Amino acid sequence: MSTNEKIRFDAIVVGAGLAGSAAAMVMARAGLNVALIERGRKPGGKNYFGGAIYTHAIQEVLPDFMERRPPFERPVTEAGFWFLSSDGGLTKMMTSGGKLANEPADAYMALRATFDLWWAEQAQKEGAFLIPKTTVTDFIRAEDGRVIGVITDRPDGELYAPVVIICEGVNNLLTQKLGLISHDLVPAHQALAFKQVLSLPMETINARFGLPDAQHGVAASVLGDISLGLPGMGFIYTNKTTISVGLGVMLETLIEYRLKPYEVLQRYLQHPAIAPLVEGGQLLEYGGHLIPEGGWREMPKLYTGGAMVAGDAASMVNALHWEGTNMAIIAGKVAGETAVVAHQRGDFSEQTLARYEEQLREGFILRDMKQYRNFSKFLDTHPQFMDVYPSFLNDALGNFFSAYGKPKRQLFKEIYGSLTGRRPLFKAVGDIISMGRAVLGW
Amino acid sequence: MKKGDAFEVKDLSEEVQATLPEVYVDDLLVSIKYFVDEEESHLRIKDQEVCGRCRHKPCLYFCLVNVYTLGSDGKIQVAYQACVECGSCRVGCPYENIDWALPRGGFGVAYKFG
Repeated sequence: MSTNEKIRFDAIVVGAGLAGSAAAMVMARAGLNVALIERGRKPGGKNYFGGAIYTHAIQEVLPDFMERRPPFERPVTEAGFWFLSSDGGLTKMMTSGGKLANEPADAYMALRATFDLWWAEQAQKEGAFLIPKTTVTDFIRAEDGRVIGVITDRPDGELYAPVVIICEGVNNLLTQKLGLISHDLVPAHQALAFKQVLSLPMETINARFGLPDAQHGVAASVLGDISLGLPGMGFIYTNKTTISVGLGVMLETLIEYRLKPYEVLQRYLQHPAIAPLVEGGQLLEYGGHLIPEGGWREMPKLYTGGAMVAGDAASMVNALHWEGTNMAIIAGKVAGETAVVAHQRGDFSEQTLARYEEQLREGFILRDMKQYRNFSKFLDTHPQFMDVYPSFLNDALGNFFSAYGKPKRQLFKEIYGSLTGRRPLFKAVGDIISMGRAVLGW
Repeated sequence: MKKGDAFEVKDLSEEVQATLPEVYVDDLLVSIKYFVDEEESHLRIKDQEVCGRCRHKPCLYFCLVNVYTLGSDGKIQVAYQACVECGSCRVGCPYENIDWALPRGGFGVAYKFG
């Protein structure tokens, strides 16, 4: 192919997920000619999450998003933790009202096949050119190593652009290829999350979850007797006429214990506190995805000459707060803005693209990632937070609210005993201190 | 987790193990939509001999969709058609013995809900 036949864009985005379409939207809006490459038949088809989407991030990219009718499920009007015990108990720590009554809501339940498709459509409306069914396999590099395009699996599938934004998702093989990180994913740092989408009539969901209508929804993180006492966390989200129920377990744990994920999930669905909620639900979809929970220490370098990385590919996940989609959107936006600045300067060098990381350092993403840098190890080394404490909480509240005809002094002794029987007090105090350290980043 | 011959498994207590229900994975697979690439597999065992000497064969367990099964000839069989492209096997195989690529554009899993 001679040089004048080369297919050229001002920018290429690899992956039409949350980060990629945000980047494409920002760049196309600024007048750049953007190729948005997606390996699935449609954007969203490869993506799987809990989950809920935070509107603060969407709003930053698309201030009038509500007028564009996003395919949200229910708003999150009730959120919190459920603690399951092995004897069938359930303790809920939920919050509602207050900030959760905001309109539009701070977060909405969503399904990625529909949400990501809509999100990519917004990029297309700004003028980005979506190229689906195309897998990027490598980069085209200039003599000085700078990225100047991508190679795809299409015949003659070379596309050129002075800047490429890599939003390839958790399996960041292209990021590795560029040398932005020196190793492949580490099982100790990945959670394998898997769920079922179950169909139930809207009224049934409302009744079972105590919701007045489909404009109210529950998002719960489920702890305790769901992952066999091993590090893991469950979730349950109410959509309009479906519920998403699943859990995440560290990949290393699944491998070492040779657990079959679908058995662990089925066990969770059969828990006496969960079974009545999912009963009669027709299975619409089973699936799963890795979540990069390595945090700050597992993040790749975010830029090099002619390229930037955003979203899961850059390990932008805050495992404790279940954040990731918002980081992906914001990072995609900042990368897109940086590409626009680079075009204005006509300079796509590493020095110019360093602006991307500088901007992220000023926002919440890199600050949070750094603060929580010790947290991913914390749960590995303190599995009692997944097991011992949730069942203690169930016992304690169970005792507190039961009239056994015993003096209260004895009741509190029993509650105290049910903690210290599981975990000596000095260790429990130590746990709280180390949790504080992990969260506050000491 | 240790790699290669040093890989060791851990055991659940019998009590806990007994609480795991048996699941017929095909009942789950029928809910997933795929565009199967009939021409080529994106997953490949690099060297069956390595699998032969792998004592614990964790791939037979941790795959979400049971892609890896043990054939009657003792070889690992790869049902790539069921793969949801999560990447776990690539990094979870103790011997790094799985060649893992993304399916060709347009093929593979196509989630309807996600």
